[in-house]
Amino acid sequence: MSTPAAAASGAAPTTFDFPREYHFPPFFTRQTNVNTHRAQLEKWSSLILAYCAHHKLYKLSLSAAAASSSSNNNNDESPSGGAEDLFHNRKLNRRLSTADAREVLEFMRKEGRAEFVGGGDGSSSGREGGGGDVAWIYWKTPEEWAKEIESWVDETAQKGTVLTLYELTQGEDTRGGSTFYGLDPDLLQKALQVLVKRGKAQIFGQEDSQGVKFF
Amino acid sequence: MFLKHIDLTTALRPSYLDGEALTFVQDNVGLYEGKYKLPNQQKGQVYLTTHRICYVDSQEPRKHSVALDLKDIERYEFYAGFLKSSAKVTLIPKPAKRASLQSRAAAAAFSPSSPSPHSSARASPAAPVQATSATWVCTICSFPNPVPSNFDPTTANVHTPLPPCLACGIKPALTHVLKASINNATSRQPAPGIPSRPQSGFSPLSRDRGPTVDGVGGSSPSGADFSPAASTPDLNTGAGSGFQCPRCTFENHPSLLSCEICGAPLISQEVSSSITPVTPRTDSPGPILATGNVTGLETPESVKISFRAGGEKIFYERLKVCMVQRKWLLHEAPPIPRANRAAEGDNGTLSRTGSGAGRTKTAGIAGLEQMGLDRRRNNELMIGTSFEDLEALMASAKEIVALAESFARQVNGGSDNATTEANALLAESASQLGLITTKDIVGGGSGSASESLYLSELSRNLAEFLTDDARGVLKKAGGVMSLVDLWAMFNRARGGVELVSPNDFEKAARLWEKLKLPVRLRTFKSGVMVAQSRDRTDEATVKALLSWLRDLHDIPPDSEVSWDWQEFGRGVTAQDVAERFSWSIAVAEEELEMAEERGVLCREEGIEGIKFWENYIDTGEYRKRSRRPVTENDRILADLKAAGLL
Repeated sequence: MSTPAAAASGAAPTTFDFPREYHFPPFFTRQTNVNTHRAQLEKWSSLILAYCAHHKLYKLSLSAAAASSSSNNNNDESPSGGAEDLFHNRKLNRRLSTADAREVLEFMRKEGRAEFVGGGDGSSSGREGGGGDVAWIYWKTPEEWAKEIESWVDETAQKGTVLTLYELTQGEDTRGGSTFYGLDPDLLQKALQVLVKRGKAQIFGQEDSQGVKFF
Repeated sequence: MFLKHIDLTTALRPSYLDGEALTFVQDNVGLYEGKYKLPNQQKGQVYLTTHRICYVDSQEPRKHSVALDLKDIERYEFYAGFLKSSAKVTLIPKPAKRASLQSRAAAAAFSPSSPSPHSSARASPAAPVQATSATWVCTICSFPNPVPSNFDPTTANVHTPLPPCLACGIKPALTHVLKASINNATSRQPAPGIPSRPQSGFSPLSRDRGPTVDGVGGSSPSGADFSPAASTPDLNTGAGSGFQCPRCTFENHPSLLSCEICGAPLISQEVSSSITPVTPRTDSPGPILATGNVTGLETPESVKISFRAGGEKIFYERLKVCMVQRKWLLHEAPPIPRANRAAEGDNGTLSRTGSGAGRTKTAGIAGLEQMGLDRRRNNELMIGTSFEDLEALMASAKEIVALAESFARQVNGGSDNATTEANALLAESASQLGLITTKDIVGGGSGSASESLYLSELSRNLAEFLTDDARGVLKKAGGVMSLVDLWAMFNRARGGVELVSPNDFEKAARLWEKLKLPVRLRTFKSGVMVAQSRDRTDEATVKALLSWLRDLHDIPPDSEVSWDWQEFGRGVTAQDVAERFSWSIAVAEEELEMAEERGVLCREEGIEGIKFWENYIDTGEYRKRSRRPVTENDRILADLKAAGLL
């Protein structure tokens, strides 16, 4: 059942294995050399993807990450929703600045691995925080999610049935095996939109109680 | 040969002798031997120094560069040029000279084929006046010359260099001068200033010395003919003093050109023909002369320097000055005699032997004190005697300069060490800079031509300054030196005269590349310019940096660090690098940034400033990964294939 996750390398459920670079002090400084900078962006990008995949984070808020990490009081690494230890290596006492982090996200956006919430579909998050503070981290792109959902529907033989969105992400059926359990509703929408466009699904219903029918 | 091959410095300039100084440079000259052009020496630069004239070829400097010693030059003539023929300076070498008296004397003294093989001995009574101004009378032109102030009759030997006659330039025989000085010493008491004739008493000495001198140099015309009564050749041939006429056999006075009786010319044709195979050596056979003239057989008739780009007039003027100054004599001058020169005659020798014996006997602290006392006394004496007259000062100039420098060093020794070192270096370099290029040294036409020559000479000068092993300017700076530092050092080494403007300096530095000099100018991307040796490449620098950083993996850091230093080593600041490689900080920064630019290092900006690390960020694998979006489909296909196979 477990299809290989694209970027999630950390298999351990609790602690995330940071890559080697994370312990390398210069990793937190923006490199001036173009090639090195590019490599740095790549590594940060894969680190963020892996981190988010490990902690099942779908959105990353730059200001929140910065703010939570600025409160230096608790030293134990607790991945509680935010990403305080992502941009901030407490052990080294090194931190990627917000501007540099935004640059990384921008780079990821260009690679199709991230999308600023403000910049994409007008979503609930709003535009505060200087033009896209919160970004989707596509450790799986909507297309990939769509594929996963489709294959899940195939495997569970639920074609033609109507499922609520809540069922898909929070329901008993998906809790066990599917990878998209707990998927962010907005992201789920995006994924389903992909399927709708392909004519594989149809969404209907009201704001709160939307349903989807797979063909 | 008259023209000798010379060694060039790293900057392709002639390497200079001790005490030699450049007086003039002119480019675009060619050499002639006699009437004919020398094929390989047609385009080059001529360097006039106090000792030599050097030609440095511009095409193949190492192969075709030649030099001739000024001391070998008999005459020099100036030819102003006519129509297409460029101005020339003709240099006529000494061995081929045709001066009548000279050749006759030489022939008379040495050629057995000469019709009148009698010595042209002349009555030349030594005229001693005072201890400091003993004179010897030239046997050729009868000009009374002063005995060199540093000439010590007791220590002089065959190798003691002697100055030539001031009037005719002919070197006296050692015995002649020796005799004059001894004469002077002994005859002081009886009648100072009155010419005495005690030659007979000294003739055995001269006879003993004469043959040895002749044996070495093959020529010593004046060696034996200082006195008519005791002239050795006369005794040998059994004839009287004088010059026998080949026609009527009348013995003429040697200074006569034609026979007093029959009017026959006393300079016979045989004379000139007979000298050529023998190559008369009229000089005193000092060691330097002997080595310089070993190949005297190939003596050209004359050597011409053709000035195709002007500068001949200045060259001629400077040459004249050089020939008058005869600085090479200074170079050859023996050290100041250690003995007390004030003590006269045999007294002097006695006192010297006495002190010498005393010195050997004393030991311990008393001995050291005695040595110090002796040294001080000697210094005092040296200074005292040096200022007695200008002549003496000139003769002992070298010693005096050395003394003054040692005094200066002693004075500096009192101050703190850091500056002492710098001062010593400075003093050293100032004295070693030796050959400095100044604007008025450089000849050439007007305007841009002379400017470019000046710059190229300055450029070479700089390159020499940098690469000189003795000074090790570049080496001390870790192989790289910022141009500003170099400029300051160079100008300080010039001792405050003929300073180089920054503008000229930069232009000269830019010429290094063009002139293929062993140093090169490098401009960092920030605009900082540095001088470094040519073989120092960025690759080598990067290699050195990297190997150092790798070493840091094994060396535990001074303080506790939060990262795994065994894996990553540690970051280094420009300061660290500057210390490690003894570069200046500016250079270290630039080198680090260069290495960063090459992707070898990466930076870390922190509160401690910018540190540079080995690049663990760009380890190369991202290049594969960056292609991943493209190969996504391939990967899926591969997965499918794998699945299909399963």
